Amino acid sequence: MRRAVRPHWGWATLGIGAGAFWTAARVSVPLMAGIAIDKGILKHDTGTTMKYVGIILLLGVAQAIATGLRRYGAFRMALRVETDMRQQLFAHLQRLHFAFHDQSQTGQLMARANTDIQQVNTVVILFPLTVASSLVLISVVTIILLTSPLLALLALGTLPFLNIAATLFTKRMQPVTLHLQEELAELSSVVEESFSGVRVVKGFGAESIQAAQLDHRADRVLDRSLDAARLRAWFLPLVDLLPTVGLVAILGYGGTLVIHGQIQLGTIVAFNSYILMLIWPLRMAGMLLGQASRSSAAAGRVHEILSTDPAIHEVAGAPKLPPGPGELRFENVTFGYGNVGTPVLDGLDLVLRGGEAVALVGATGSGKSTVARLVPRFYDIDSGTITLDGVDVREVSLANLRKSIGIVFEDTFLFSDSVRENISFADPEADMDTVRDAARLAGADRFIDALPEGYDTVIGEQGFSLSGGQRQRIAIARAVLAQPRVLILDDATSSVDPTKEHEIRAALREVMQDRTTLIIAHRPATIALADRVVLLDHGKVIAEGTHQELLVSSREYRAVLAQAIGSDADDPALDAAALLEVPDGNGNGVGHGVGRANGDRNDDGADGIGAGASGAGDPVGETAS
Amino acid sequence: MRSGGHSDPVALDETISREEAQWVMRRLARMLRPYRRKIVIASVLLFLQTACILAGPSLVGFGIDHGLQTKDYTVLYTVTAMFLGVAIAAAILGRFVIIIVSVIGETFLRDLRERVFRHLMGLGLDFFEREKTGQLVSRMTSDIDALEELVSQGLVAIVQNILLFVGAVIVIFVLSWELALCTLIVVPPLVYVSNWFRTRSNAAYLEVRDRIGHNLATLQEGLSGVRVVQAFSREASFTRRFSETNEAQFAANLETVRIASRYFPYVEFSSVVGIALIIGVGGWFDHEGIVSVGVVAAFVLYLSNLFEPVQQLSQLYNTVQMAGAGLHKVFGLLDTKTSIAEHPGSVDLPRAGRLEVHDVSFGYTKRLVLEHVSLVVGEGERIALVGPTGAGKSTLAKLIARFYDPRSGVVSFAGIDLKQATLQSLRQRIVVVPQEGYLFTGTVRENIRIGRPGASDEDVVAAVAALGLTARLDQFERGLDTEVRERGSRLSAGERQLVSLTRAALADPSVLVLDEATSNLDPGTEQTVEQALEILMKGRTVVVVAHRLSTAARADRIGVVDEGALVELGTHAELLQRGGRYAGLYRAWDSSHAQAHTVDGIGAGTATT
Repeated sequence: MRRAVRPHWGWATLGIGAGAFWTAARVSVPLMAGIAIDKGILKHDTGTTMKYVGIILLLGVAQAIATGLRRYGAFRMALRVETDMRQQLFAHLQRLHFAFHDQSQTGQLMARANTDIQQVNTVVILFPLTVASSLVLISVVTIILLTSPLLALLALGTLPFLNIAATLFTKRMQPVTLHLQEELAELSSVVEESFSGVRVVKGFGAESIQAAQLDHRADRVLDRSLDAARLRAWFLPLVDLLPTVGLVAILGYGGTLVIHGQIQLGTIVAFNSYILMLIWPLRMAGMLLGQASRSSAAAGRVHEILSTDPAIHEVAGAPKLPPGPGELRFENVTFGYGNVGTPVLDGLDLVLRGGEAVALVGATGSGKSTVARLVPRFYDIDSGTITLDGVDVREVSLANLRKSIGIVFEDTFLFSDSVRENISFADPEADMDTVRDAARLAGADRFIDALPEGYDTVIGEQGFSLSGGQRQRIAIARAVLAQPRVLILDDATSSVDPTKEHEIRAALREVMQDRTTLIIAHRPATIALADRVVLLDHGKVIAEGTHQELLVSSREYRAVLAQAIGSDADDPALDAAALLEVPDGNGNGVGHGVGRANGDRNDDGADGIGAGASGAGDPVGETAS
Repeated sequence: MRSGGHSDPVALDETISREEAQWVMRRLARMLRPYRRKIVIASVLLFLQTACILAGPSLVGFGIDHGLQTKDYTVLYTVTAMFLGVAIAAAILGRFVIIIVSVIGETFLRDLRERVFRHLMGLGLDFFEREKTGQLVSRMTSDIDALEELVSQGLVAIVQNILLFVGAVIVIFVLSWELALCTLIVVPPLVYVSNWFRTRSNAAYLEVRDRIGHNLATLQEGLSGVRVVQAFSREASFTRRFSETNEAQFAANLETVRIASRYFPYVEFSSVVGIALIIGVGGWFDHEGIVSVGVVAAFVLYLSNLFEPVQQLSQLYNTVQMAGAGLHKVFGLLDTKTSIAEHPGSVDLPRAGRLEVHDVSFGYTKRLVLEHVSLVVGEGERIALVGPTGAGKSTLAKLIARFYDPRSGVVSFAGIDLKQATLQSLRQRIVVVPQEGYLFTGTVRENIRIGRPGASDEDVVAAVAALGLTARLDQFERGLDTEVRERGSRLSAGERQLVSLTRAALADPSVLVLDEATSNLDPGTEQTVEQALEILMKGRTVVVVAHRLSTAARADRIGVVDEGALVELGTHAELLQRGGRYAGLYRAWDSSHAQAHTVDGIGAGTATT
């Protein structure tokens, strides 16, 4: 943290320096006022009075300027530190490896970048301000002690109690506030539950039950709030009383001294002002202590992130990939996430020839998704090699490697940007034609043109909302824009509504032409897109062949597929379609038994209900052909 | 900690106009009537406290003039004692004021919460479909909580500051109107500048809030999409994008600092000018014999009672605005009328009877979702509604349960129009079991009891036994007393369904409206659920919105709903023979299931034809 402050030393110095200057001016005013009274008013010497009034005014100006400078300096430095820390944290997080992000929740990281940094910053702000008020405290105490020690002690006597009271109050208040927050949260959840489940509540006429629950919660909130109020009720009056007792002492004892002639009347007035001046610095000191512990905890959490090193290293000056057809080779690859027992990939051997489309199939946990993540080096393998066109992926420039691989993830993530910016994400410099080509390949150009602002339409959370299939097609366009030599499709259809899946498949078929493609899938229709199918089990290849071949020869293959179909049992018409769409020798999907006769594109014929009800052609017969 | 100790900024939708404010005040006054007595007491105490506070400086002044100047010890010590006395009195009074005001305020808030909640719960389903849950929750929680801050901190401070300021002005005028006038010269500029500060910094803080929002959005996007960013090697450019919003936030914050850095110097300077004026003018007046030194000293002490309130009130203004706006929204809710009301002269629905839907048309908006649908369900008959998504079968189910009233046509049970039935009897006779069991925080027992509020423990146990689930529910950690966490996350989906079914069993309805679950449960629980469901349905009239054709096939009759109309109605055999929609659906489904079995069978080596 100190590192963060150093570049802004200038502002900090200004803040503290001006603070000292301010203290001097501020503390002198009561002094001058006192003297003005003694030497001017009491002696009926208007001239002297006016002289001192003039001095006071000058001091006022000085004080004003100084306070402006000190506040500006302190806050500016603090804001700068906060901004820089946030920037640093963000940049670092962007570079951290996947394994780190797997372990963290976005919400938590947001809290670090937002709340925690703010906490740290509070101390940074408080610091120069506290220095100034400490100076005030010290000077005032010194001045009044020098003037009249006994009176000073009497006047100051009660003030330490102010600090003690403040500390006690904060300590007692914290658990109460916490309880209050908890009760408010409970109340909120009853409200939220009742509204979300309003159908059930109304359906059973159970409004009274929920109302009773709420009453109960509201009563508890009332109790906690009153607890807090009671605490405030003894603290706040005390805060006003203690300094006032000091004033009483000044009047009583100071007055006596004045009558004895030991001190001047003006001094009493000055003392009064000084006591009032001390209240704020004392409370600040208390605040700083409380805040300091919270801030150091926050600083620790931020530091934890900043000190985590990205695990995927790039060799300095690593070269780009040599030109090639996109041949991907896995040799005896072993990999496990973290150090969790058995490795996910265990001696995997796999070759994808240039331009070939291979489907990876396997049960959950077989390692198929992992394979997809290893190629772009989102994780580094434990042993073995992965080579692309003959070069180990670890020896190539990371940026170049990733640019050469287009990947479509299972869950589409699009940014709150225009369609064009989303598609050209891999290459922001791409011109409109390139973007359009990519969109066309992905089968997205038609619906994009139909959008209110075409390619400039902003999508995402606050923009136009697209269907799952449309989003996925944009993701596909994004993946192919930079002409990657390898395309990885990680379960790209699983999150799409089964009735729309065929739309994606057409797009996938297009982009896969003449490009090395790795497809991770479990739906037969998607698997059918590949030239070859590889079956994984427990991180090893246990069978290879075409979909047809494996369907006949491998029981495990059938089991995996059957499981996939089972999960779609809710859409009876489409079960049939998916199952019946079994590839013929050309690797093209054969239309479903219901209403295919006119050989139309599968896209529109998928609705089993609408098609003619001529009994489903015997699907088994087709399989066997 | 905000720079300048400013309260939260107020956006346009958080402010209210003068007339709205007046309306809120009147409404508030009405609602506070029960607390009349306490309010009067608190006001009196507050007055007394302010008087005590203001007495202090005058006593000091008096002590100086008549004690110190005249070297009179008696006067000095009497005055000192009195000063101490009023200080302690002020503290004690202050304590009571805070307590009483807090009691009034917090009790009022509690009552307000209860009232609003009851009112909202009484509104029809259409209200809940219209409004976003999130917003409603926010009304009931954060809007009312904003009032909490006002009540706990702001209210006393506001009244006290006003009293203090006014009181101080009065006192100094009494002491010496000449000096008072001179001193008060600094006040109007201070008020003016404080106003300027408030408006400008409010605008600036709104800007800050806006930029923070943008920055957080960019931050969040960068974090949730980090995998995509890395996949396409865009770390550098994304970080640059973040720095834009980050710097924008900085700039906005700096602006607030600039504004504050211009305001506070002025305030401090005013304060010093005040002292200078008092001493200078006061000194001259003393020379002229118009005021005494004691008065001058008192004036110096009163200065803080003039300045502090102005500043504090300025800061509290925003809190008041937000509270007012919040109250306005909350009162608005209280005025919303319910759509499903119980009409006067309603009768209870009897136990037995036919369910009749007669020529019913309905739409959530102008567009009709159901048109001229008629259906008669006999006593104890089981009818399944099938059809594509959005066809209207769920809507029809909602009309049967009277979650909505039809636009035209009548839904009746045992010959009684549902609109003429008492809501209580309606909810007892016609019960909806939704797709997924929705559970509330509490125990399993409490969740079941929702089925019939007021049911005893034995009733609950009996309902569980009736479905044959006693053993199964006992398997829970603590049986029926197991706490299900939020939304029942402690239980599996299947277990939630079981609780949901038991609820319905407890309600013991005549008509059961079932929305079939679409997702599959784990096979073990699936069977238990099916069995319990069968028991539940026995002997009751059942309308099931079916998503599985197997369910439909087991019904007495099937209705196919498509595009808002009932296109087919008949038994399974009849419809199959007719060869219409249902037939097509059923055949496709049936063959796919046959295929699934066949796939497994191929391993035997023979391709069955």
